[in-house]
Amino acid sequence: MKLCDPHIHMTSRTTDDYQAMAAAGIAMVVEPAFWLGQPRTHVGTFEDYFLSLLGWERFRASQFGIRHYCTMGMNPREANDPALVDGVLALLPGYLEKDGVVAVGEIGYDDMTPAEDKCFAAQLELAKAHGLPALIHLPHRDKKRGCERTLALVKEVGFAPERTIVDHNTEETLPMTLASGCWAGHSIYPQTKMDEPRMVALVQQYGAERILVNSAADWGVSDVLKVPKTRDAMRAAGITDATLAKIFWDNPITFFAQSGRLLPADVASALTVDQRQLHEGNSVLRGQTPRVD
Amino acid sequence: MQLIESLVGAIARHSPAGAAWLQTEGSRFPQAFAAAGRTLGRDEISVEDCPIPWPRTGADEVGRAALVLGAVAVLPPDQHVTFVRDLLRRGEVRERHAVLRVLAGLPEPVRFLDLAIDAFRTNVQSVFEALACDNAYPARYFTSAQFAQLVIKALLTGAPVGRIHELSSRIDAELVRMVEAYASERRAAGRPVPEDAKLILQ
Repeated sequence: MKLCDPHIHMTSRTTDDYQAMAAAGIAMVVEPAFWLGQPRTHVGTFEDYFLSLLGWERFRASQFGIRHYCTMGMNPREANDPALVDGVLALLPGYLEKDGVVAVGEIGYDDMTPAEDKCFAAQLELAKAHGLPALIHLPHRDKKRGCERTLALVKEVGFAPERTIVDHNTEETLPMTLASGCWAGHSIYPQTKMDEPRMVALVQQYGAERILVNSAADWGVSDVLKVPKTRDAMRAAGITDATLAKIFWDNPITFFAQSGRLLPADVASALTVDQRQLHEGNSVLRGQTPRVD
Repeated sequence: MQLIESLVGAIARHSPAGAAWLQTEGSRFPQAFAAAGRTLGRDEISVEDCPIPWPRTGADEVGRAALVLGAVAVLPPDQHVTFVRDLLRRGEVRERHAVLRVLAGLPEPVRFLDLAIDAFRTNVQSVFEALACDNAYPARYFTSAQFAQLVIKALLTGAPVGRIHELSSRIDAELVRMVEAYASERRAAGRPVPEDAKLILQ
């Protein structure tokens, strides 16, 4: 069974992670643009980050047989820095047109400030203008209220719910996310957010329609194999393979194909690996024999 | 035949719909340049009667090259270099291929020498090959020292040296010395000397 991790920050992970992911059946990832764990101080560093998502990271993933797509956006935390916001919003249109950019994201609320309102709404308008879906991050503090405000803003801006992922859901937010018509992402984490047994229970209660599961792995304590581990937990609980294929492959493909930048036919076949390739003069290899399919 | 006509003609033979898209959307440059991969596809096509060397490349690259020619034609000459520099800096890999392939067909190509040298240093292998192989630019505008670096880099990275345009006419004593030195270094390390070294040493 091919697996997709529809929310993972690979720029912060190692080649060991890529190897383990490929071995566990992950054939495709979507990497949302986010912050770096500490605030950026210049608009220019966003541009280099966007370019690395389109260039080096996509190339690095391909060396392990993993297709890499990304989303571009101004993340909620840095939306509170007035010195950055206008510059990054001006930068985005050029990058939202690039091949392999499958949504605007991750955007949304962190502290739910007026500055965040403005940046969030402006980026939903950008998504409309560029024909892209939106990937929205729910805040981790005051999450239920954040979900209500998120869904209200999506409605107010007139953004199509079927082109929206609301991510990092819990038991308390999932009913309203599904009722809104949005897709519902779940981030399976070692201690916080959501875990495997709770995710199994949610699928048993709500089914697989518009349900997505991701690792949201980044530079913190997180696990790049949470997608296959959650699949295994669901299978052990008696959920059918047809349902698992829907949640872990068909759903993310269907959602992101709405961008027109990801064709289902493109991801149907396995990616051919040629580790002799270089990117910017750098190989991912350090003296090993290149794998060539 | 004009370069732009050859490129557009190649698109038209491959896909009439693609040629119509180029005609109508071509003036919206930044959007069309980014979208060419999705609208024209990546099938490899041939460009006939081309005034500069042009190997079989993706239809997206042929279309993007035509778009660059069209955009440059309506810009004041003093903005050409900045325009092309931004395309190379902010481009995806396939976008950069197209820009490098069309460089020798732009007005007063020598103005883009610094950009070509910079592109040659960055060395994504496919980007390097777009400049080094079946491309008139290095042979026409690189100095002897720059051309020698290009050839050595092609040898080091496994790019097909035989496809460097006008290689035989640009071989000089310094290039031969550098390739001999490289061959000697490989032998000393117990490693094979690339077959393509013979193209310079013969």
